[in-house]
Amino acid sequence: MASLTINDLHKSFGSVEVLKGINLHIEDGGFLVLVGPSGCGKSTLLNTIAGLEEITSGEIQIGDSSVQGLHPSKRNIAMVFQSYALYPNMTVSQNIGFGMEMKGIEKTAREELIKKVAETLQITELLDRKPGQLSGGQRQRVAMGRAIVREPQVFLFDEPLSNLDAKLRIDMRTEIKRLHQRLGSTIIYVTHDQIEAMTLATKIAVLKDGCIQQFDTPYEIYNNPNNMFVANFMGAPAMNLIEGNISKSDNNYEFQMRNSKGDVVSLPIHGVNGLKDYEEKTVICGIRPESINDLDLVSKSQSVVREVLIDVVEPAGSDTFAVVELGQKQIIARLNGNSQVSAGDTVKLTFDLSQAVFFDRQSEERIR
Amino acid sequence: MKNYFQDLLPRIVLAPSFFVILVFVYGFIIYTGYLSLTDSRMLPSYEYMGFDNYSKLFGLRHWKIAVNNLAIFGILYIVICTVIGLLLAIFLDQKIRGEGFLRPIFLYPMALSFIVTGTAWKWFLDPGIGLEHIMHQWGWESFEFRWIKDRTFAIYTVVIAAVWQSSGFVMAMFLAGLRGIDGEIMKAAQIDGASGFKIYRRIIIPMLRPAFLSAFVILAHLSIKAYDLVIALTNGGPGRATEVPATFMYSYTFSRNQMGVGATSAIIMLIMIFSIIIPYLYSELKSENQS
Amino acid sequence: MNSQIKLSRILIYFVLILFAFYYLLPLYVMLVNSLKPLDEIRGGGMLYLPSVWTLDPWRSAWSSAQIGVDPSGLKPYFWNSIAMVVPAVLLSTIFGSLNGYVLTKWQFKGHGIVFGLLLLSCFIPFQIVLIPMAKLLGVFGLAGTTSGLVLVHLVYGIGFTTLFFRNYYAAFPTEIVKAAQIDGAGFFRIFWRVLLPSSGPIIVVSVIWQFTNIWNDFLFGASFADFDSTPITVALNNLVNSSTGVKEYNVHFAGAILAALPTLVVYVVSGRYFVRGLMAGAVKG
Repeated sequence: MASLTINDLHKSFGSVEVLKGINLHIEDGGFLVLVGPSGCGKSTLLNTIAGLEEITSGEIQIGDSSVQGLHPSKRNIAMVFQSYALYPNMTVSQNIGFGMEMKGIEKTAREELIKKVAETLQITELLDRKPGQLSGGQRQRVAMGRAIVREPQVFLFDEPLSNLDAKLRIDMRTEIKRLHQRLGSTIIYVTHDQIEAMTLATKIAVLKDGCIQQFDTPYEIYNNPNNMFVANFMGAPAMNLIEGNISKSDNNYEFQMRNSKGDVVSLPIHGVNGLKDYEEKTVICGIRPESINDLDLVSKSQSVVREVLIDVVEPAGSDTFAVVELGQKQIIARLNGNSQVSAGDTVKLTFDLSQAVFFDRQSEERIR
Repeated sequence: MKNYFQDLLPRIVLAPSFFVILVFVYGFIIYTGYLSLTDSRMLPSYEYMGFDNYSKLFGLRHWKIAVNNLAIFGILYIVICTVIGLLLAIFLDQKIRGEGFLRPIFLYPMALSFIVTGTAWKWFLDPGIGLEHIMHQWGWESFEFRWIKDRTFAIYTVVIAAVWQSSGFVMAMFLAGLRGIDGEIMKAAQIDGASGFKIYRRIIIPMLRPAFLSAFVILAHLSIKAYDLVIALTNGGPGRATEVPATFMYSYTFSRNQMGVGATSAIIMLIMIFSIIIPYLYSELKSENQS
Repeated sequence: MNSQIKLSRILIYFVLILFAFYYLLPLYVMLVNSLKPLDEIRGGGMLYLPSVWTLDPWRSAWSSAQIGVDPSGLKPYFWNSIAMVVPAVLLSTIFGSLNGYVLTKWQFKGHGIVFGLLLLSCFIPFQIVLIPMAKLLGVFGLAGTTSGLVLVHLVYGIGFTTLFFRNYYAAFPTEIVKAAQIDGAGFFRIFWRVLLPSSGPIIVVSVIWQFTNIWNDFLFGASFADFDSTPITVALNNLVNSSTGVKEYNVHFAGAILAALPTLVVYVVSGRYFVRGLMAGAVKG
């Protein structure tokens, strides 16, 4: 296994720049997830790491050696694809062994390794079948087998779970995590699903339009987003983003909104020094649904109680999500699973402001 | 009442075509088949003769030449068209600049009548004014290319012209097949370290099996039917050197007044085609129903 | 590594351009030699551009060349072909579309067999029907007429057009018909208002395919036509193969190009759709 370092990587297709100066480092044995909306460049970045695409400038290091310019088969990497990319006219066994065949490893040695990998992934009884005869989950495991048998320094995954149905996706996600724990491999994983990102990664890189918006641990990305894009992208349901004014009262700052009746609703804020530059100005406040709860929850030091109008109630089993009106904006609150609120009620909810974050309205950058 | 009519309507709409096919195709086949069992000469007679015509046919020297020519022509035509078609398709698929310009050039011969093709090639292959003459004019005095007038080699000129006409079409079929291959498979093969050539041989060409099959079926059926091209290019000649079953049938039925024998030859042609087409269609329709 | 790639690219381009020449050569030869006076052709130099440019061979081919017994040029036969092709294409396309509609959206018991028989009819050698067809046309008084040829081409074209439309309509979900039925539409209205408007691409394919095949046909024309109805392909063959006297190659070439012109024009204008649709419709699987 090895670490991966990317220095100032640029990639253009003709005159269009798709990757604009990427800097990343993942340590040996880490699990790096590249996440972002369609077209952000994450798959392109993965392809450049694999060597399937050339880069315009910059450096890619696997372990201690620079690999840019090397053929994919010489970079000591392995890749698992979204559509599995199994060779349809070969058996599972031949699929897994193809890379070794190309390297010139002779038959008995190949068969040994194939058997070992098949046992690890529990696909031994499928070895003589062709891909067309396998289910989606089975194909995915064969694709992983083909990657594992290469004993690479870095594993690359390109949206491997997107083609699976919901339940299978969760099962396979756990398998991948298990694989990571068992093999201790360095993994670079591309997905557009932020839940996958949060559950699998040791480090996440959020990409948008070819730039890294934030490169951090999942915890930091979730609780300390750098800008509005990251805040909104990660977390489901998404973080509530509310526009309002900052005003100073005594020695404290207040976040003020107007509700539909015209009254001012204010929330007190502590510990955000950057707000001193924003007195009497409009900012965006970000507050996650799980910070807005029923009254009967233990109140925390920075919690306040406010009255809101319930618009829509969505019971989800373990939680109930309510779309409520605060100020003039509709936001989502996460209530108890057995909450008894109904649409049209006016109820009191607690707002835990210790996790609230603020953004500049123009630049969308975080105010710290 | 209206419902009953609506139920019947689809069948009514389909009926004319179905009826027409039944009569004009299958009915006629049966009729010709019957004729092959009679002693028809210039006009159909209905004197039953059993399979005499068939044994007579297989004894005729002309027929043996025709079948032999068909074998030579058919095999060469199918193999060469497939090879050229595959080669051109693979080359065109390599992100060539000007593909949109080259592809129509490769394909346009398909739009021509075989008569036009025959005419064009006939003069090009003619020793008097064609290739041989050009080579002589350019100084290569000893160059010889008289195949079209040569009894043994004339059939190969038919191959040249037919390949010219159809290889573009085969190329188009393979190109469509190539384009249907998932790009991720190429990526996986690259990572596995396979060179370009190996990728094609081990992975891509095996995946083109449906295209190979379609090409084979279409080319085989065209070669058995080949009539226009032979007539235009060599008119069956020199002598009978480029006789094929299709020309045999026509001449025996209409010029030589041996309709019974002609009908027999037509039935043989039908059997040849059906023995390829029917299994193919059956397996295609079956797999379509399964998926 | 890079120079090896460069070398193979050069090789690829070279081979492709070589083949382009192979395909273009006959056309070039025909074109170039159709514009030369006869003595220039006899002097050889088939590949050279004309030293004397003349349109006489074209005029001759069109209106005064000797074809069979009459020095009428190809003009009357050109119009014979048109008179034959247009109705045949129209009718076979109309029937094909209706058949495809029925076979995919109004399936009844035995529809598979009907389709199978129609499909099989595309592949028969035409020699097998020559004798009975000749007899039948004679019985109905259609022997040697354009209408007779239209009938022949219609009959043997229906298999193909049905195949095209059937494969095309198979991709439309059956729910469309059910939804329209709920809306109160009947058999023909559904066809007219729902399926037909979206049928542009396959109509183009069907028309081009039929036009090309019927225009280029030789066998039926040679077997069933009279002077009044002889199509241009047969006339061309007569022109070229009548070996009386001097062979006027330049006229032959002009005639060949004239005969090929309509299908070539159709191909150039709409070739893309032709190929695309052919791949999707005709040779599925």
